[in-house]
Amino acid sequence: MAEYNLWHEFKKGLWQEIPPFRIALGMCPALAVTNSATNGIAMGLATFFVLLCANISVSAIRKIVPSQVRIATYVVIIALYVTVADMFLAAMFPPISKALGPYVPLIVVNCIILGRAEGFAQKHPIVPSIMDALGIGIGFTLSLALMGSIRELLGFGSILDIKLLGNWFEPWIIMILPAGAFFVFGFLVAIVNYLSSKKPAETHGH
Amino acid sequence: MNKKVFKMILVLSLTGAVSGGILAKVFHFADPLIQENKRRELREAIFVVLPEAKDYQTIEKEINKEKITVYKGIDANGSSAGIAFIADGGGFQGNIRIMVGLNTDYLKLKGIKILEQNETPGLGNRIKEPEFEGQFKSLEIKPKVEYIKYRKPEKPNQIQAITGATISSDAVVKNINNAVEKVLKNFPSEEILK
Amino acid sequence: MEETKQEKPIEQPKPVPKEPKENPIDRLVVSSSPHFSTEDNVHKIMHTVILALLPACAASIYFFGLNALFLIITCIVACMATEYAFQKIRSKPVTITDGSAIITGILLALTLPPSFPLYAAVLGSVVAIGLGKQIFGGLGYNIFNPALLGRAFLQAAYPVLITTWSEPLTKAAKQGIDAVSAATPLALMKFEHKITPHLDLLFGNTAGSLGETSAIAIILGGLYLRYKGYINWKMPLGYFGSIAVFGGIFWLVNPLKYPDPLFHMLAGGAMLGAWFMVTDMVTTPTTPIGQWIFVIVAGFLVVIIRLLGGLPEGVMYSILLMNAFTPLINRHTRPKVFGEGGQGGLTG
Repeated sequence: MAEYNLWHEFKKGLWQEIPPFRIALGMCPALAVTNSATNGIAMGLATFFVLLCANISVSAIRKIVPSQVRIATYVVIIALYVTVADMFLAAMFPPISKALGPYVPLIVVNCIILGRAEGFAQKHPIVPSIMDALGIGIGFTLSLALMGSIRELLGFGSILDIKLLGNWFEPWIIMILPAGAFFVFGFLVAIVNYLSSKKPAETHGH
Repeated sequence: MNKKVFKMILVLSLTGAVSGGILAKVFHFADPLIQENKRRELREAIFVVLPEAKDYQTIEKEINKEKITVYKGIDANGSSAGIAFIADGGGFQGNIRIMVGLNTDYLKLKGIKILEQNETPGLGNRIKEPEFEGQFKSLEIKPKVEYIKYRKPEKPNQIQAITGATISSDAVVKNINNAVEKVLKNFPSEEILK
Repeated sequence: MEETKQEKPIEQPKPVPKEPKENPIDRLVVSSSPHFSTEDNVHKIMHTVILALLPACAASIYFFGLNALFLIITCIVACMATEYAFQKIRSKPVTITDGSAIITGILLALTLPPSFPLYAAVLGSVVAIGLGKQIFGGLGYNIFNPALLGRAFLQAAYPVLITTWSEPLTKAAKQGIDAVSAATPLALMKFEHKITPHLDLLFGNTAGSLGETSAIAIILGGLYLRYKGYINWKMPLGYFGSIAVFGGIFWLVNPLKYPDPLFHMLAGGAMLGAWFMVTDMVTTPTTPIGQWIFVIVAGFLVVIIRLLGGLPEGVMYSILLMNAFTPLINRHTRPKVFGEGGQGGLTG
């Protein structure tokens, strides 16, 4: 069995393959529910949970699933964890569940999860798959938290409901509307691309 | 060949069965909590629009295949504290859901509370601010509720629209009028308040 | 992608014709098209447009006082500064003196309400030049009219500030008050069914953004541009015609509820849009049929948004929407090259 550099499997999700900026997957939730930092973090954590569970399950059964039905199996597994996450949020955190609305059930079709299952977990043992899910999950959560913070700061003058900008600041309503998500996303992709173009060692990373 | 097909069916069925089992377990644990949350939310909204109510009673009717639900508020002495119902209708963006409280005399509103709305932040969504909602307290409903702009209300059935958000204000008024009309027609006071 | 490249003869750098010398071979200039060039260049056109905008600016200062002047200056300075900063960062030649940033600044200022805060106008200018023009590669490459893009951003960012209008000084002085908040003629029409007199609309004695008020000042500038030959007559006329026809249909159906076509033409941003925005060379179609499609659909959109939509004014969105369709319109209305078959042509 090949030796795994577990640290590398974890680390790549934080910069080299950070979603949704470097691997452009999972953009739907990134654009739809990041109108406040709280919503962004909640969505990131829900996706993180599903990703971790799905990676473990897919990796565990990777040797017994016939390749013809693998996608169907993965979707059933992912749907299971998404429904669990959805019910958990609705039962324990109704305000967050209300704010995220239909986007929690929509994690089922989040390409990051199916992408990692298909691209990583089904080919690798459980421990590297966990590291992969941890890295990508944390990276995704951080990205959404960052987007949510920027949009909340400019759109409400606060981050995590803590007022940061005084009364002199007239909030840019556009930032909490869908259009603002595209602006922020575009800028962040540009910044990430600019920063990574300066590091020649990582440019071949795609 | 047959063995392959058999394995495919087996794996998929097993995955489905195991997932279903887990879900049933989680549902068993979560569903009471979810229902409780919904009930609490409804209860709180009813008590906001019917401030004297300490308890409520659900009355449902089916008219033309449309289910209409009203909630009869009961105060500390056990007598009626007015009735509450949900007004649901289109706004500027998406639907606006409003809990409406009606006085026992069927002539005035006791108050309203916006439950759900997707109006423009900073503009239309100011309909959920107390300054706007508060205008509906003791507002007369006969004749219909109206709104006016830039001025203080002159008649007892008028409210002042939010400057720059006429469409949202208009939607709230229209939804309330529609719901009130439906309730007045289908739930005559003798029947409810006996 | 050779097909999508548009010929814009007036914006191409002039090939320098060589003076014929002794050797006749020198007369044979091998260069790519265009082979003929006029006296016009970006510089000259832009400065003429600025001149044509002056009456509108003067009218706005007359009606709204120093506020209007500050707003115009702020927008111009902010637009030029943004253009300079972008071109410096991207190490491109700095072209702020060609006048296009000045025009964007003036046009943006003319779409803003007189009491609009200056810091917000700066933000709008940065968006107009930065996101509207420089990100696409500068003048000639932008998809949307930069000034309108800046204004659309401001509309979404500050929905309250941008709909806070005040009466012109001429009216406020009569009532003995400093500045009164007021509704624009279009808002009055939409929400209170009051029609502002045509004469007030023509001279600009109404509430509105700087360039929405005086129709006559804009017409003056527009006619000057037409006299200079820089605008195509079919753009403003087609736009007005379309607004008049579609607005007229509504009016004929219910004259009590809907305003007459003349009101549509004089009120709001229709004047400014028709003379200075749908005539923009960069963001509108280049083919004659395409130009007709552009103005007719845009006029239709104005009427629909004004009468049936949620907003009182639709000129900005009508032009921005049609800007987005311009490349498509250009592509499908290209004149056929002689001899090109009916089937499977370049456009098919």
